[in-house]
Amino acid sequence: MSTVFLTNVCKQYDSEKNVLNNVTAEIQSGEFFVIVGSSGCGKSTLLRMIAGLISITDGEIKIDDKVVNDLQPKDRNLTMVFQSYALFPFLSVWDNVAFGLKARKNLSQSEIASRVDNALKMVDLEGLKDRKPRELSGGQRQRVALARAVASDAKICLMDEPLSNLDAQLRIKMRQEIYALQRKLGLTLIYVTHDQVEAMTMADHIMVLHDSHVQQIGTPAEIYKKPANEFVASFFGVPPINILPAVKISGKKINVNNDFQMQIKQQVPVDNFKVGIRPNEVMIEAADELEANASIRTIEFLGDEKIVYAQMNNNNIEVAAIVPSDSQFKAFDTIKVSAGDNVLLFDNDGINITKNAEELVNA
Amino acid sequence: MAILLVTVFGKSLSAKSAANDNRIPIVFWHEMGGPSEDALEQVVDGFNKSQTKYKVIPKYQGTYDEAIQKILQTHGTSTSPAVFQAFDISTAQMIHSGYTTPVQNFIDQDNYDVSKISSVARAFYSNGGKQQAMPFNTSQPVLYYNASLLKKYGITPPPVSPSYSDITRVAKQLYEKSDHKVKGMTVQVYGWFLEQALANAGAQLANNNDGHTGNPTEVKINNPDTVEFLNWIKENIKSDDFIDYGSGASAGANQTAGFLSDKVGIFIQSSASIGQLTKNNTNKLGITYFPHPDNKKANGVAIGGAALWISNDKPKDVQRGAFEFIKYSLKPEVQAQWQKSTGYLALNKDSQKTKILKDLYAKNPESKVPGEQLAKAKPNYSNSGILMEGMQLTRQLEEVAMETVYNGGDINHALDTADKAINDNLHQSNRANGYK
Amino acid sequence: MLKTSTTNVVPEKKVEAKQRQGFRLNANDKYYASIFLGPSLLVLTLFVFYPMLKTLYISLFLTNTLGNTTVFTGLDNYVKLISSPDFLSSMSVTLLYVVAVTVLTVSVGLLLANLASQKLPGIGIFRTLYSVTMGVSVAVAAIFWLFIFNPSTGFFALMSGWLNLPVVNWLTSPTNAMWAVIITTVWMNLGFTFLILLGAIQSVPSTLYEAADVEGASSRYQFFKITIPMISPTLFFVSTITIIGAFKSFGLIDLITKGGPTNATNMLVYRIYKDAFYSGNYAKSSTEAIILTVIIAFFTLIQFKFLEKKVNY
Repeated sequence: MSTVFLTNVCKQYDSEKNVLNNVTAEIQSGEFFVIVGSSGCGKSTLLRMIAGLISITDGEIKIDDKVVNDLQPKDRNLTMVFQSYALFPFLSVWDNVAFGLKARKNLSQSEIASRVDNALKMVDLEGLKDRKPRELSGGQRQRVALARAVASDAKICLMDEPLSNLDAQLRIKMRQEIYALQRKLGLTLIYVTHDQVEAMTMADHIMVLHDSHVQQIGTPAEIYKKPANEFVASFFGVPPINILPAVKISGKKINVNNDFQMQIKQQVPVDNFKVGIRPNEVMIEAADELEANASIRTIEFLGDEKIVYAQMNNNNIEVAAIVPSDSQFKAFDTIKVSAGDNVLLFDNDGINITKNAEELVNA
Repeated sequence: MAILLVTVFGKSLSAKSAANDNRIPIVFWHEMGGPSEDALEQVVDGFNKSQTKYKVIPKYQGTYDEAIQKILQTHGTSTSPAVFQAFDISTAQMIHSGYTTPVQNFIDQDNYDVSKISSVARAFYSNGGKQQAMPFNTSQPVLYYNASLLKKYGITPPPVSPSYSDITRVAKQLYEKSDHKVKGMTVQVYGWFLEQALANAGAQLANNNDGHTGNPTEVKINNPDTVEFLNWIKENIKSDDFIDYGSGASAGANQTAGFLSDKVGIFIQSSASIGQLTKNNTNKLGITYFPHPDNKKANGVAIGGAALWISNDKPKDVQRGAFEFIKYSLKPEVQAQWQKSTGYLALNKDSQKTKILKDLYAKNPESKVPGEQLAKAKPNYSNSGILMEGMQLTRQLEEVAMETVYNGGDINHALDTADKAINDNLHQSNRANGYK
Repeated sequence: MLKTSTTNVVPEKKVEAKQRQGFRLNANDKYYASIFLGPSLLVLTLFVFYPMLKTLYISLFLTNTLGNTTVFTGLDNYVKLISSPDFLSSMSVTLLYVVAVTVLTVSVGLLLANLASQKLPGIGIFRTLYSVTMGVSVAVAAIFWLFIFNPSTGFFALMSGWLNLPVVNWLTSPTNAMWAVIITTVWMNLGFTFLILLGAIQSVPSTLYEAADVEGASSRYQFFKITIPMISPTLFFVSTITIIGAFKSFGLIDLITKGGPTNATNMLVYRIYKDAFYSGNYAKSSTEAIILTVIIAFFTLIQFKFLEKKVNY
């Protein structure tokens, strides 16, 4: 029973600009909730407001049906893991984990000891309990921070970019560990990251923040397949979705970037709009100069696939296409770019105007 | 390299300027700071203008205490002075150093008439019948009181040569009648005052007649006269009409400030303070002689201040030039002007006849008192200073004893402690110097 | 070591050249060493070693009026000093002063730094105010406090006048004078200490406090369990500087109390100065200087031991 409700939460440092505008969200008990956005979008601020480290300017935060706007962090019954781990360099691993328990002063020595030992066991650090943080690797330090959250016994855990100080290999490993831990303990985990992969791989629900507004809240599949707008669409997926200008010719026939024509599945209500094509929906074929509408700039080899980056003839627009790795493209080849009909449509304000999204998904 | 160049260049420059002035340079070290330094430079200027043969170059050396060590440590080098000012309690040290030519030699050569010079002052700097140095800036401790306050509260002023109880009476009355707003008196923690109390009581501090008939081997501060002096202070402390300003230069400044702002009515200080006390004082200033014990007549106090000495590490003509300067500085007019500008007492008896001092006395009659006290005293071994080495330390120890008493300590115990420390030091110093 | 590792890496032909060069340097090692070390050795010998040895030498003799050594007395000067209640009181006075100054400087500095590290509007004014004594010279400080302590016209005297309290004799009572000197010294030290500690406190990562906030640690708990341990290297540095500074305190003593009253503020350094340059007793002051050197060396040693063990985390 630990649900977090955010209702029209606002943050304003000076009268000029709102850091966060009307953030509204419901975070269910036991779910893995990821807040994602590029740096400066206010995601860490939002997390700190939930924690109570920063006051909110307007709106309401409820935890377990209780308004906590004016409660101290310690009274909100949650824990927090920081990007820098916030370990005390002068304390041993064991004491670091015990710090919060001792500070609360309402637990007996033996209770503290059993909780700390248990938490260390959970993150597999029992053998290192007498080490100082400086004697640990990055991943081990991260685990100490996790153990601290585990030991506190609070059911809501906030994490602020906990993996961004780790190298790529370790990040994948810790991602899995955190996920496993969250599931095992039944934690309500609110997790802030700038990394869309982390969001996609771990989240039950994702909140996309941009430009101090919530762009969309949804499951990873919804976010990917039915992005609310151009920003959300571009944020998820590697390489990012190709966005090209398009003009309606007639009915479902459109002209994309003056470079090629294609059929789409729906009528478009406006004449000028944008079309978003995922790289795996882009089709390319070799063509002589007369036929070609693009030329290849670079090619990235990924193993089974290759990413071809090509420049369209018009508007200097670059598109990315995923092709099998045995296809014979090389830089400066002239090519003909086209697309399948599985595309997203955005109006000139970037709003997703794709209809029958459900059908498109199933197609 | 640059330093070398500057040195060479600088040397040649100074050599040049010396060549332009053919007069023999007489380097003069002194310790007069502030307004007194200006007055001293006037004396030097006057001498230099009167001269074609010698030129005195004055150089300020800081405090009396520090200057002594500089003089002793530079003797025999090119930086040492030809004539220097050394303060009263370093007299024994200077005589023993053997670094000076007694001025008596020149007095004899010139048949210079010293009888015009204050005998008490001369006695302080003579030994074995020979004048060792010439007294120059001379002061005597006197007692100042706030005559206006006394008048305001209808208190009879103390007589010109008061006893301890005369002062106690005035101090107590002032404290009581002012409704405890004005403290009656203070005596600064200053060894000089304790020594003067003994001198005025006709007592001696060191054996061999305070060192005038042989190097002292034993000191006894704990004698009835010291006890009486301290008891006098203690009585006033008990009656709460006494305020303690402590020791050191800041204590002097603080008590002067207190006196000028009507916080304390009576204090003892050098006659050299008279200028400061008349210039900035909206009240009428009263002055008496240094107080004496109740059952004794005043024996007269010794002088304080400093004398001019001639170094013997300089050529004959330079030493001669130094003595010419000393003679000039003791002329009636020079001494009169010196007293007027500094408050130090004119040592030449003829100075009193000069217009300068007559005008001064007409304006401030009370400024006559210190000079009278000096003139009245007949020199004897008790009031001619203590010819003993280590007087600086002795004074510190005397001051510790005074402070102990001021802070409620037992008089006899404090004095015994001081005696022991002073004697320890004296014995060791005599041993180190090979004196019997 | 370095040389061999370089030669191992470079190709054969170059090795020869390198080695030849190396040998040439080796042959001239003594020459180069003397060129580089000579000036500093000369300066050290002239201005450190010689005076130190001379001081030690003088302390074994009696010195006469002229400051020359006359009678050899061995360790007599030391025995006399150590058994003299006067000197022992100087020692205890110095220790009391050093301890009080250090404890007060560091604790008050820490308090102010902690206050000023709060993020409040207008806090910059306080930061400037608290550090202002950094720019005050000893002489100015002494005069400033002498005015305050003046028993007739001083600030404290006026205050007690208004409040109808008895006037405290700050500079004439032995205990008060000690406090007067301690207060003045602490006041002088505060600016520097405050700035250094403020810098240290501000460089503690804010997430440590956030973590503690979330975990429910009170601000008192955070101060003692986070701030203090995190800035302990700086605290140690500041204490060391303060202790050494306090041992060397001279200017303020000279200007405010001159070691009085009744030697209550006659610290070792001031005593050394007075014995040499007032009383001209060079033997005694040399002996005291040697004893002070030993004491300071002892403290330095303790501090370094402590530094190695405790403070580095």
